[in-house]
Amino acid sequence: MSILNGLKEEMKNAPQGVFCPHLFKCRGYEASRSECLPDIRADGIAAVFTQPKPYIYKNDLIVGSIRPYYVAPTQEDAELVSQYMAKYPERNFWQGVDHFAPDYFTAVNIGIPGLIGKIEKSKEAHKDDAEKIAFLDSMKKTLIALCDKLTAYAEAAKALIGTPGYDEKRLTLIADNCIALTKHAPKTFMEGLQLVWMIHNCFVSEGRYAMAIGRIDMFLYPLYKQDIENGSLTDEYATELLANAFLKICERRFSGGDDVVNICIGGVDEEGNCSVNGLSYCVLHAVRDVNLPGPNLSARITPDCPDEFLDECLKVIGTGLGYPALMNDPVNITALSRKGYDIRDVRNYCMVGCIENFITGMQPPWSDNRFDPICYLEDILLKYDAEALDNITDMDEFMSIYEAQLAIGVEEYIQRMRANAYVEDPENMTSPFLSCFCDFCIERGLDINMGGSKYPSVHGAALMGIGTVSDSLAAIEKTVYETKKAKLSEIAEALKADFAGYEELRELCRSAPKYGNNSEYADKYAVWYTKTLNDMFDNYTTYDGGAVYTAMAANVSNIHAGRDLAATPDGRLAGKPLSDAASPTYGCDTRGVTSTLLSLSKPDYTRCACGTVVNQKFTPAAFKDGKREKLLQLIRVYFSRGGQEIQINSTSRETLIDAMEHPENYPTLVVRVSGFSAIFVTLGREVQEDILSRTQHETV
Amino acid sequence: MKELNVSSIQRFSTGDGPGIRTTVFLKGCNLRCPWCHNPENISSQPQTLAYNTGKKVTCGKIMSTEEVLADVLEDVEYYRASGGGVTFSGGEPMLQAEALGELCRMLNDNGVTSLIDTAGCVPWRYFESVIDQTDIFYFDYKSADRNIYSSIINGDIDIVRCNLKRLISSGRTVHVRIPLIPGINTAVSECERICTDLLDLGVKRVGLLPYHRLGSAKYDALGIEYAYRNVPIQSASEIESIKEIYNKYFITYIE
Repeated sequence: MSILNGLKEEMKNAPQGVFCPHLFKCRGYEASRSECLPDIRADGIAAVFTQPKPYIYKNDLIVGSIRPYYVAPTQEDAELVSQYMAKYPERNFWQGVDHFAPDYFTAVNIGIPGLIGKIEKSKEAHKDDAEKIAFLDSMKKTLIALCDKLTAYAEAAKALIGTPGYDEKRLTLIADNCIALTKHAPKTFMEGLQLVWMIHNCFVSEGRYAMAIGRIDMFLYPLYKQDIENGSLTDEYATELLANAFLKICERRFSGGDDVVNICIGGVDEEGNCSVNGLSYCVLHAVRDVNLPGPNLSARITPDCPDEFLDECLKVIGTGLGYPALMNDPVNITALSRKGYDIRDVRNYCMVGCIENFITGMQPPWSDNRFDPICYLEDILLKYDAEALDNITDMDEFMSIYEAQLAIGVEEYIQRMRANAYVEDPENMTSPFLSCFCDFCIERGLDINMGGSKYPSVHGAALMGIGTVSDSLAAIEKTVYETKKAKLSEIAEALKADFAGYEELRELCRSAPKYGNNSEYADKYAVWYTKTLNDMFDNYTTYDGGAVYTAMAANVSNIHAGRDLAATPDGRLAGKPLSDAASPTYGCDTRGVTSTLLSLSKPDYTRCACGTVVNQKFTPAAFKDGKREKLLQLIRVYFSRGGQEIQINSTSRETLIDAMEHPENYPTLVVRVSGFSAIFVTLGREVQEDILSRTQHETV
Repeated sequence: MKELNVSSIQRFSTGDGPGIRTTVFLKGCNLRCPWCHNPENISSQPQTLAYNTGKKVTCGKIMSTEEVLADVLEDVEYYRASGGGVTFSGGEPMLQAEALGELCRMLNDNGVTSLIDTAGCVPWRYFESVIDQTDIFYFDYKSADRNIYSSIINGDIDIVRCNLKRLISSGRTVHVRIPLIPGINTAVSECERICTDLLDLGVKRVGLLPYHRLGSAKYDALGIEYAYRNVPIQSASEIESIKEIYNKYFITYIE
């Protein structure tokens, strides 16, 4: 069995208890004798890093596990946690503020001792500022705790030598790497990866979620290149090491939780040149070999990146994994440049969480929320009386009323966002460890959330339902103002009745043009939606003057959002999902994927700095040699026209089986053979099974 | 301006020639192959497919060549990037050769190449209407057996052979393709007979189309019986052994 598969087997034996790193943190708070708030925080963090005994898998090459944080808390433990978490509260992912991509570039360049040296230098520069000195000391304390953790891992590795199932050579290597990192900057690729992984492990054990790894093919590239050139590393071994670390992202998945760790490859370097290198391929193959959701791989695709790279991405997607997500680099760079960042910093962006663009290690953790334009359409249709509705004379007038409602909605949204971002006692909310990995917290001696970061905080407003809105507006234009087959008040009545008794009107609404078919009639509303909402959000900033980004990327929240909403003029019934992310309404883009992507490249996504998501599914046959080239060109054209993102799914056997059971989820999945194509879910059972049997040998 | 009887227009067709293509399915066929996977394209009359999912699709629409042109040109960027173009299939697209020739010329004027997927059982003069406007022909050769052509699929093997020979000698790119139909042309002796025929006609490359019954839902939707409903698909090894026979004589690939 390969080392990777061995590790997977070990991980399947999930730890007992619950994931509770806070228990160790609170014990640290309890034991702290300090009076200084950042110092108390640091004591909590140090306890998390150092109290639990390290765990090393038999098949570990890169160490750092969260298993030690699985505990069976006693009643007293639970009380301790609730007492101290109330005293030293946190704002994390669940409050919408925990997406971050650390500055691993500096960490790998200068190592932990280098970071500590930087802190010492800054203390010297701020020697008259007690507050800054105290904060810098708290940062230093967490880095020393990180060193202690590495030392503990080294000792644990040495102690395991001779234990059945463990390999002495590997344990020795692990111990040497960990000790080396406490003394100097990483000197080999393996040390560099060990450093990054251990820091990441520390963030997770701090209780953070959705922490990105970012541009690993950039910040580990110098060490990779050096080791490849001196013959101490091969691509195969680099891939194995990466997979050994990435697989541990899935530790929580094996015990019933999950994590979303974004890893970014490709894109341009700081000078604007395509940066795809040998390590990019190793990362791609490592994620393929891990073959589990969790390492959320993003590939930044530049117009001049080699076809070979994009093709390799498609091969990995074709395994059924669905990664990497493909990002159109020039669109993202233009979008971020609009926000006034230094172009070199922009070019070094990566993704956090699912797809959110982030200036690596230079912004406070992300916050985001959902903005639902449908609500404001319903505010008109469900609240105006019939006379007022029918007095609206044409589509232009209707649109200006809708725009006015939206402007009110955006204003309200910003108020809520600001209220949520307001922190009563910021001194008690410091993040000394996180601040070590954000420019210029060390230089300024300031916390990441209190002016330490190079750029201010950003907020991402996830715009919901572009398809539902566009289709609804097209339906109103068609039925009320063009064919005049229904009055606006009749549509409003139908919506209130959830179309019960209005079946004919519903059919009329459903037969109006839909977004995603390359027809201007509906597509113009998607263009309008993107422009209008971004114009509105551009009027606002976050509490510290940062940009408010927009996204059309809300992961599955289109389902939640739809639950609370009445029926809509596109014919959607009450409670049903809205259109997903930036995609057209499911099943309404009926002319084929080329048309869908022509529509989808019409809105100006350089306005959507946070990012967008477009999902497309293909059967495994589309990924075969000879066919993949067509997908590649499809993406090239889509990106050359200004599409921002595409997430392609190869419907693995499992997905096809799911489509047989739940056809409603796969309305547009097309099966293609020569001279023939069919929507998969319309096929009979035995024929679907034919496809399954031919799919088996087409996938890996 | 001429008119075409269009059954459907399918984008991102990846099985119908080089690059990204749009396939225009033309309605109406002069053959009656009982295994046909596009039964809605046999009759030239408009028909409605009523799927058991409740979905209804009407096919059969008279469109001017300009209308079809405008529709397929929407994807021109994809064709250019991928070396693709427009494929005409059916039914038998050659039954509408005159309008087809006009449309192919219009496509040429727009720098878009075209491919015609034919069973070749039409008078040679039909080919004359399109031959100078079309870049590639996909030519079905279904059997070497005169009787199968005449009694099962309602065709004439002599016309097919004659057209194929003339098409090849005209210097056009012709890809001969053989649908592998159980009980019709998959026995070793049948394969060998087809090979002899094709060698005689000057064929160099052969594409094999493994039998499938994906069309059965369409038969249901049209309310007609499908003779091949219960005929199972071939295994990968069966397909491979048929390929080996063809490989002795031709560059052979499985589509």
